[in-house]
Amino acid sequence: MRKVVVTGLGFITCIGNDQATVSENLRELRHGIELYPPFQKEGMPVKVAAPVKDFNTESPDPEDWNFPSRYKMRLETLRGLAPQGLYAYCALSQAIDDAGLNSEEVSNLRTGLHTASAGSPGMMYHHLKRMFKVGVMRCSPMGMVSSIAGTLNFNLVASFKIKGSSSGFVSACASSGHAMGFAYDEITLNRQDRMLVVGAEDGDIVSILPFAGMRALSPSEDPDKASRPFDKDRDGFVVTGGSVAVILEEEGVARKRGARIYSELLGWGQASDGHHVVIPHPEGAGIEAAMQNALKAVGVSIGAVDYVNAHAPSTWHGDLAEIFALKEVFGVDNNGPAISSTKALTGHGLSFGSILEASLCIISINEGFTPGSAHIETTDPVTNGLNIIRETRETAPKIVMSNSSGFGGSNVTLVFKKYPG
Amino acid sequence: MPTEVKHGPALSPEAEAELRESLKRCSPGTMEAVLSYRNTGDTRAIPAVVMGIIERFLEPENRPILKTGANNVRLVEDLGLDSLLMVEIIILVEEALDISIPNEEMRELRTVSDLKEFIDCKVKGIKPPFKPKHLSVQDIAAFMPHQDPFLFVQEATLHEDECEGLYEIRGDEFFLEGHFKGKPIFPASLMIEALGQLAVLQLLKSKRPEIENLIDPQKVYFASCDGVRCHKVCVPGDTLTLKVKLKRIRFPLASFEGSIMDGSEKVAFAEDITLAFDYLK
Repeated sequence: MRKVVVTGLGFITCIGNDQATVSENLRELRHGIELYPPFQKEGMPVKVAAPVKDFNTESPDPEDWNFPSRYKMRLETLRGLAPQGLYAYCALSQAIDDAGLNSEEVSNLRTGLHTASAGSPGMMYHHLKRMFKVGVMRCSPMGMVSSIAGTLNFNLVASFKIKGSSSGFVSACASSGHAMGFAYDEITLNRQDRMLVVGAEDGDIVSILPFAGMRALSPSEDPDKASRPFDKDRDGFVVTGGSVAVILEEEGVARKRGARIYSELLGWGQASDGHHVVIPHPEGAGIEAAMQNALKAVGVSIGAVDYVNAHAPSTWHGDLAEIFALKEVFGVDNNGPAISSTKALTGHGLSFGSILEASLCIISINEGFTPGSAHIETTDPVTNGLNIIRETRETAPKIVMSNSSGFGGSNVTLVFKKYPG
Repeated sequence: MPTEVKHGPALSPEAEAELRESLKRCSPGTMEAVLSYRNTGDTRAIPAVVMGIIERFLEPENRPILKTGANNVRLVEDLGLDSLLMVEIIILVEEALDISIPNEEMRELRTVSDLKEFIDCKVKGIKPPFKPKHLSVQDIAAFMPHQDPFLFVQEATLHEDECEGLYEIRGDEFFLEGHFKGKPIFPASLMIEALGQLAVLQLLKSKRPEIENLIDPQKVYFASCDGVRCHKVCVPGDTLTLKVKLKRIRFPLASFEGSIMDGSEKVAFAEDITLAFDYLK
């Protein structure tokens, strides 16, 4: 059986644009949520968001953008991007450097790319508005490739000269979990030796506000308390934009080139609720099945799991469904794995949420700490019997599960293991 | 005397502001040139507009190539533009000069001077000059009814109303075996055939307004020739330079004048070659 290991990470997130900063903020439970300037006006139902720092992508014209000067790209690359494309380009460049890959190791028939994004509503809005105003023949020919779902893989395959398999995943907030899971399959099925996995979201006004229309966002005006998964007074999630990139390699290939290995991706599982287009199954049937499937697939006993990074977005129904599922899988005797939701710090990354949380799990395994579930004032009593940790523990988890759930009741569980075991 | 074209009223402040926004990444001279043209109709400003807009879309390392000012700089090969960037350039030129340019008219543009001249003609409302077009033997074989071993045009250069072609006598042509036995000479009748074939090529590619429909390539026939004179015997190794000039098209007939040279020597001349043609049904 071919083993899959993690050899590179790249971060453009609200809690840091490099691994060291992300790791420190994670350990110290420092969040990236703020009073988001575009929301500070009358009539805005939400006030907080968790935008990336040191980037300005407000203009619909990429040539207006500001971003850290360490990232260099040609105009032809920049012109096809949405904000998420810029974040993804930067995160992937960082992950490739982090893994120590040269351009031949990135561009060959045995290296593929999986992406996760829902497309760019902001770019779509801008280009369609222009189309109706000035006519279709006066619109930028790059409008489509910067807007539609798929924008990440179109652009990254071209700019990083990817020659192996490539594909984009669209399953809402489970998207990047699917991207990672199917990347694992590509390697274990011996179709590819190396997979670059990238998730990204714009996290701008038009990508955030429609969730307020669904009554899913926290109306809180306090960035320090807005996102509080497992709190009995949680009132909705906070959206974050940005990107995370993870480099997966077949163990032998990674060892042969002397790569530093962060952890092993042991395997994954998925299942669907078959219940409602938006609302999760009330007992968390889908996420429970996803966890069981993952455990079965990796052949690990329930007792061996040290830490679960929960999906728990800080919504009433979302957290509740997962709490019931966790109880079914791990029991209610307080002896189960440590559980936390890092969305208290990062907010919800939507399509890139799963890979963001997976990368935080990889950091926690590699650096030997278990991040706490921040911002809980009163733990929801429904969680009684589960081991929800409110502070960071200086204990290194060996086996970690990361859960993600999306619209339509799509659920993914990824399992990581300390390397070497 | 600068050419002035009919132009609308001076730009409104809103329209000017919108244009400034669209052109904000062009050099300041570009906006000045646009204003000069839009407010006075002075077409001398147009080259500066076109150059400024091309420059704005170039990667920094390619900008000095444009700035050499050489008109034969090629848009794709030298400046690294691709077809989508060409579209962006044209869109911005359209907006700056308030003209519209159909896609199919852009295809023949190869160099910076082609583009400048093309846009200059567009603005003045005159027809852009015809660009000679080179056809390889593969291009020719792709649309001509004549094929090997009976195709006597190996490459051709199309002008608006005339056409040049080449045929190199190889020596292994099947008919040279018996024309004449032991003494291969290219037949004079086939020289007329070669001119006829070049006339067919010119007719099929012609954009003359007298041609009202698509011509059926299977229905173009030799109708007559007149005033044929031959001056030189041609043998293997000689290269025939063929030339036809369109004289008149009136459905269903098209007449040409034809001549053949070998280097600087006259080979043959035909005062008139007439083809009969029909349209695609």
